Parts: sequence; C-alpha cells; structure tokens
Amino acid sequence: MRILGEEVHNRRWLGVGRSAVTDSRVAAADAVSAARTGPDPKLLIVFAAITHDTEAVLAGVAQAAPGVPVIGCTTHGEIGVGGPADGTVTVAALGGAGLEIVIHAAEHVSGRQAEAGYEVAACMREVTQPHRVLMLLTDGLVRDQESIVRGCYRALGAGTPLFGGAAADGWRMSRAYLFKDGRVLTDAVIGVAIASEAPIAVGVGHGWRTVGQPMIVTRAADGRVLTLDDRPALDVYLERLDAPPEAYTDPSEFTAFALPRPIGVQRRSGVEARNLSTEVDLESRTIGGGGAIDPGGLTWVMTGDEESILDSVDRVCRDTLGRLEGNEPIGMLTFSCAALRAVLGDDGIRRECDRLQRWAGTMPFAGFYTYGEIARNHGIDGFHNQTLAVLALS
Amino acid sequence: MPESAESLYIQQLVELLAVVSSSPDEATAVQNAVERSAQALEAEVAAAVIDGKVVASIGFPPGAVPHDEIVAMTLERRSILYVPGLGDCPVVTASWAGSHPGHLVLARWGAPFQVEEQNLVRGMARVLELTLTMLRTLVAEHAIRESLQERQRLLEHLSAIQRAISHREDLQHILDTITHGARDLVGDEIGLLWVLDEPDSGRARLAAAAGTRPVDPADRPVIDLTAASPAGEAMVTDGVAVRHGEELQSRMLRLLGPTTVHASMAAPVHDSGVLTGALVVASCDRDRRYTTADEQTLSAFAENVSLALTDANTLVRMRQAHHDPLTGLASRGLFLEQLSKQLAIADADGRSLAVLFLDLDRFKDINDSLGHAAGDELLTLTADRITAQLRAGDTASRFGGDEFAVMLSRVDGPTDAAAVARRIVHALAEPMRVSDHWLRVGVSVGVALRGTAGDEPAELVARADLAMYEAKHRGTGGYAIYREPSRATGRE
Repeated sequence: MRILGEEVHNRRWLGVGRSAVTDSRVAAADAVSAARTGPDPKLLIVFAAITHDTEAVLAGVAQAAPGVPVIGCTTHGEIGVGGPADGTVTVAALGGAGLEIVIHAAEHVSGRQAEAGYEVAACMREVTQPHRVLMLLTDGLVRDQESIVRGCYRALGAGTPLFGGAAADGWRMSRAYLFKDGRVLTDAVIGVAIASEAPIAVGVGHGWRTVGQPMIVTRAADGRVLTLDDRPALDVYLERLDAPPEAYTDPSEFTAFALPRPIGVQRRSGVEARNLSTEVDLESRTIGGGGAIDPGGLTWVMTGDEESILDSVDRVCRDTLGRLEGNEPIGMLTFSCAALRAVLGDDGIRRECDRLQRWAGTMPFAGFYTYGEIARNHGIDGFHNQTLAVLALS
Repeated sequence: MPESAESLYIQQLVELLAVVSSSPDEATAVQNAVERSAQALEAEVAAAVIDGKVVASIGFPPGAVPHDEIVAMTLERRSILYVPGLGDCPVVTASWAGSHPGHLVLARWGAPFQVEEQNLVRGMARVLELTLTMLRTLVAEHAIRESLQERQRLLEHLSAIQRAISHREDLQHILDTITHGARDLVGDEIGLLWVLDEPDSGRARLAAAAGTRPVDPADRPVIDLTAASPAGEAMVTDGVAVRHGEELQSRMLRLLGPTTVHASMAAPVHDSGVLTGALVVASCDRDRRYTTADEQTLSAFAENVSLALTDANTLVRMRQAHHDPLTGLASRGLFLEQLSKQLAIADADGRSLAVLFLDLDRFKDINDSLGHAAGDELLTLTADRITAQLRAGDTASRFGGDEFAVMLSRVDGPTDAAAVARRIVHALAEPMRVSDHWLRVGVSVGVALRGTAGDEPAELVARADLAMYEAKHRGTGGYAIYREPSRATGRE
C-alpha cells in the first residue's frame, strides 16, 4: 500500500517559480522555467505585479512553455516560496498524470455577472476525474462579484467546491488584468476546471472579531450602505470607531482608516468580514466596496491584529490540508486579501508567508494579494473579503 | 453561535422580505426566495414546489434536479435528500397557503435543522405567500405601486422589531413594537397581542395593546380559548379569524375599544413551533372590510412575531440559565457574576485572585471526525477533570465551545496559580476514553492575576484569554501567565 501511495503521489506535481527582473518578458520566462519542475505540464498560473507589461509577460510565458494552457492575473503583491513580494512575476505550474484542466473565459462581465459565472462553469462538463474544483479568476474592479459566484453555483450545484480570487492592480483602482493563454482580458472571468484522481481541498477563514453592539443596515442599494441605524452610514461607522477628524472629510484618510476595520455581516455560522473602504462618498455620507450588504442586515464594526490574522492562517491551513483525506499534498495556492496588507504591514505579511511556509514544509505554494477571495465547500455563497483562501492538491 | 444569534432569524426574514419584495414578477420572486432562504440557512439546496411541481431550485445543475424526490419531501414521505457530491442531507419543508399554495424545501449537509430554523423556514414560506398574493391580487388590480408600498411598509415594521430585539430592548418594548406594527400595517385603530398563560391553561392574557382604552399592566385582561373572541378562534383553529359587523365583536373588544368596534381580525402566534398566542387588529370604521391581502399581511406579520418571541424568550432563557446543561459547570453569565463578587471581596481585603482561561487543543478535529456525541462526551470528561483539580471556593465555567474558565478565589501569587494550571494541563494530558477510542487532547491555559483594585471581570478574563493564546503559540499542552507590560513569562 505504501508503494501505491508513493506512486500516486508521484504522478502529479506543483512547482513555483519567481523572478524579480524588471524586464517583463524575461521575468515571466524565468519564472515559468523555474516553476516547471515535472513532466507533462497541464496549467501555468501567472501572478504578475501591475507594474509589468502584461503583453510582454504573456510573450515570455509562451516562449518558456509553448502550448501549455495559461491563466493568471495582476496583483497587489505576489505570494510564494521565499515570502511576499512586489514587482515580480510569480508562477505556479501544475502537471502530471491523473489530472485534467479545462479553461473557459467570459468577457463583458459587468451587468451580467451571474450569466458570466454560469457560462464559465460549463468547463466542468468537460472533465471526468472524480475530485474536482472550479477555480475562478475575476476582474477585481467588476462590481457584485457575489453574483459571478452565484452564477457558477446555479450551473454546478452543491457538488463542486469553488476557489479563486479577484485580480488586483496594486491599489491603483483603475484597471486589473486577467490572462488566458495569449490574451490579456479586462471585465472578464476565467473559470478553470481542475479535476484529479486524488483529493483537492478548499479552505477559507479570517482573523477578525466584532466590536461593540450591532448596527442595522437600514438602507442599502447597489452594493453601497446608505444608512446604519437610520443615520448616514459613513458617520455612524466612524463614530463607532472613534475615528480621527480627517477620516470624516478626506477620502484617502478614510480609506486608510477603514482598510483595517471591516464591517462584519451576520451569517448563521459566524460573522463575515466586508471591506467598505474603497468606495467612500463624502457627499452622500455612504460607504461601499468589497461586497454587497443587504438592507435589514445586522452588522458590526470589526477589528483584528497580526496575532489574530496569523492565527487564522493556521486555522485555514490545518482545515484545508485536513480535507485531503490523508493524501499527501503536492502544493497549495494561497490567496490573501489585499486589505490585510494594511493591517499587517510589510513585516507582518512576511510573517504571514512564514506561517504558510510552516504548513507547506517542503511543498511549494504560490498566490497573490487579491481584491476578493473565492472559496466554497458548503452553502451557496463563496465570495469573501479580508480572508485567506487556500487550495491544496494531492 | 455569535453573540447576537437571537436576532439572526428575524433579521434573515427581513432580508428575505427585502429581496423578495423588490422582485418584479412571480417567477423572479420565487427564485429569489429560494436562493435567499438557502443563503440564510447556509443550506446547499432549496426549492419551491407549487402544484406538485418544482418551479424553482438551487443546488443541482440544471437538468439534474431530482424533481420526484423533492416533491416527495413536501408529501412528508421522506426527510433525507441525496445530494451528489455531498451525500444524504437532512431536509426541512414548510408549506404556504393562499391563492396558490406551495412548499419551500431546504436541504443542508451536516446536522439536522433546529426548531428555530424550522420556524424561520415557516416564516419564509409565509413571506412568500404574502408576496405571491400581493403580486397576483394587487397586480391584477393594476395597483403595482400600492403593492410595493404595502410590502415596503411591512418591511419597515419588521425592521423596527428587529432593531428592538438586536438592541436588546426589554421584552415589553418589543411586544409593544409588534402590536403597534400590526395596527399600522393594516391601517386600523386597535392592535392587541394575546399570549397564553401556560401551554395547557386554556386562557390567554393581554401582553400588549395599542389604540385601546387604558390597560392596567398589573391587571391585564384574560380571555378563554374559545371561539367567543377572534383571538380565541385564531388560537383554537390555528388560522386567521375575521369578523365583520358590530354585533359579531367579542365582549373583550367592546370593553377595550375606544368607541364601537365594527371589524376585527386575528392570527395565531407561535413560539418555537408551539401555539403561544394571537395577534389582533380591530377597526372602529363602520365600513371596514378585510381583504385577502389584509389577511395575508397580518398572517405574515404574526409569523414574524413568532420569531421575535422565540428570540426574545431565548434571550430570557439565556439570562436565566445559570449552568451549562452539558457539563453542569457555571454558565458564562454566572461565572462573570461570581467573579465580580469575588473581585469586590478581594479589593476589600487585598488578597489575590486568579482567572485561568482554557482552550482544548484538537477538539474540533475530534468533534469533526467522531461526531458531536463524542465531542459532548469529551467536554463532560474534561469538565470533570478540571473540577477535580480545584479547591472549595474556586469556580469552573464552560464559556462555550471548547473554552473553559476557572476562578481561583484565593491564591498566594503567580506560583500558586501556575501550580493549578500545571495540574490541569497534566490532568487533561491523560488519555480519555470516548466512544470506544482512547483520545489524547491537550489544553492551553492562560493565567491572569488580579492586578490593581477595580479590575473588571471581563478585563481579567480577556487577559487570561490573551495569555492562553500565548500558551497556544508555544505549542499545545502548556500554560502562560499574563504580565504587564510584556505578557507571558511562565511556560511548560
């Protein structure tokens, strides 16, 4: 049995490569070459800093691994073996036997998010291996990402776990990019059916806790919270947190203040964090950003610190690896929220990666800082803010 | 469950109503209700069945919806639904009446639905009934605007109740909000809420009133559960009772009405699924005639009142519950209360006092792999081993989940407290026999000693909690002592 176990393990591999070279084509080619650690590569997942020339990145990838399917996106920082990084091209390569990959993409997603999710989920129909996950990469600047995930769920039902992340643009909030084979896409969704003969596991979690009494969303529309407890949402939120005066009047001060202080939304199994820092409207005194909050919803101000966030890294990794049913993992994809960088700082994200490294041991891992994480094992929702989402393969 | 779980269910109904109310047509309303109910209960599958057919569903790929199995659930032939990829899932169903009756069906992987969740699903079915009736009757009368306004008003009143509950206002205020809400919703002068004295007493007492002659709170009117009054009829038949005409009004309504009452309507109210009272509206308008939509509105509102009462009673029960039913240890509330007393005593005579905060290592893994029953057994054994290490005057408490707290009412200093922590760590390190398995769980213990005079109980517990995390960080099965300003020092 032991021999069989080793044999199965050796059939697949995950490799990670990274280059900090500023020439985008060279960086991509170097990272791909380093990531390609086994035979029969099936998928390259490219995480490129927004500072890179995206077309040149794809040219470099194609040069280093012609004909291998490619997906990827721009980031707010790249995660990988060796720690977090800015300005790099970081690549995860996946290959070997007993593994199937099918990629679908949908474009012009804004205004038809659910439909686009439904479309890309069709990739799952083309795989046959028993263990499956639908991996999604979305454009992080498209609103209502929940609907994309809901569209996938409508198409696939309860039996397919979901995992993914929203492409970022280094906090510029102007344009994020997705990669599919030789093309650079915006306002798009990429769905990848990953099917394997061995278990694949998804996990997600956050390290935030609620503070004080709840507030009720008395008016909300179009992904924005207009009033909390019948008063302008922006003011109620800032008052609860005893915010400095500048946060009331200066949008960038508000964003800086709100990033590490998400709003919690009550769910049956706990409180979900929602980032409301990015779409502040000082005129109407409303807040909005990382995900829909419904009218009538019970919300809290949340806080967290490095300790609680790093604890959640442990929880998520333990849970995800535990779901592999005892099979030996070959690697992990690790998508962490861009907003966590504001809390953790540069030293903190290094320690976050150290934690990931501790769980990974000798196996490789890669990912990026996202504008939203996607992970679903149970229930019908799977879009998250302020979390770490992990995919483990065996 | 999170701290304000008691208001979660009514919040979810309000959210459902908000979503369904904004639906432009019936098909969208049903699909939205199905998806929102699944979301609220974190269920993987939800479906609406009308006229014996699944008209909307989520959780199965299109073309793979097990229509017959889902319909069988509504006929109560089965209570487990097989969901590919998940396995057998417990099911909850709720029916709605009205012009086009139907069923809401939900299936969720894992534990069966709780009574409160079953209530919530029933409330959701009523919301759907109300919405569908409004869409059909009022839209047919070209009164779409009116329909939307009606639903918006229902939403506002439910939000007010939800706010009262989530802000933990007192029960009387919540009941008054409900009664005023019912009256305003249907546009009548009078609103009454009757609550059964005891489940089998055959009598109900007036719990709240709006628009009536003054009622002495110390001497609330009582009615018998007979068809003599609309409230009694609603409770006896468990359905809506409507009375038009002055001569058909009950003696009680004649007594309570500010002037002559001409029309009244009552709907039953439930608490945790058991009939518990009736919500009544009444009008002094000679021409008042209740429409089907009015009946639906009161009925849906009463269903929400059921949830509010369940939640509010839960809150009361929680406050009254002094001991954890599983382990028999002090509840969190009782523990903090006793800690507060002991701190006052310690402040007075200057002696020291310590709090230990305990968190089991690997409990979740055991609970997940061996099941809740095994988890419960493990917690009980743990509680016994903890108490075995304590002296008279010390108090152990289960704080929830796998967290415990211990108060050492008299300690000579950190060394003394650390000795107890060490004893507990050793006691829990010994294997325990649970469900035919020998299990070894570790525990991480945080120790905090009373600092200066005036320490708050919650602060002291929070410090012990912090120290516990420190202990956990160092690896399983150890303790750490909280110290200002740099925290933990001792270790094992």
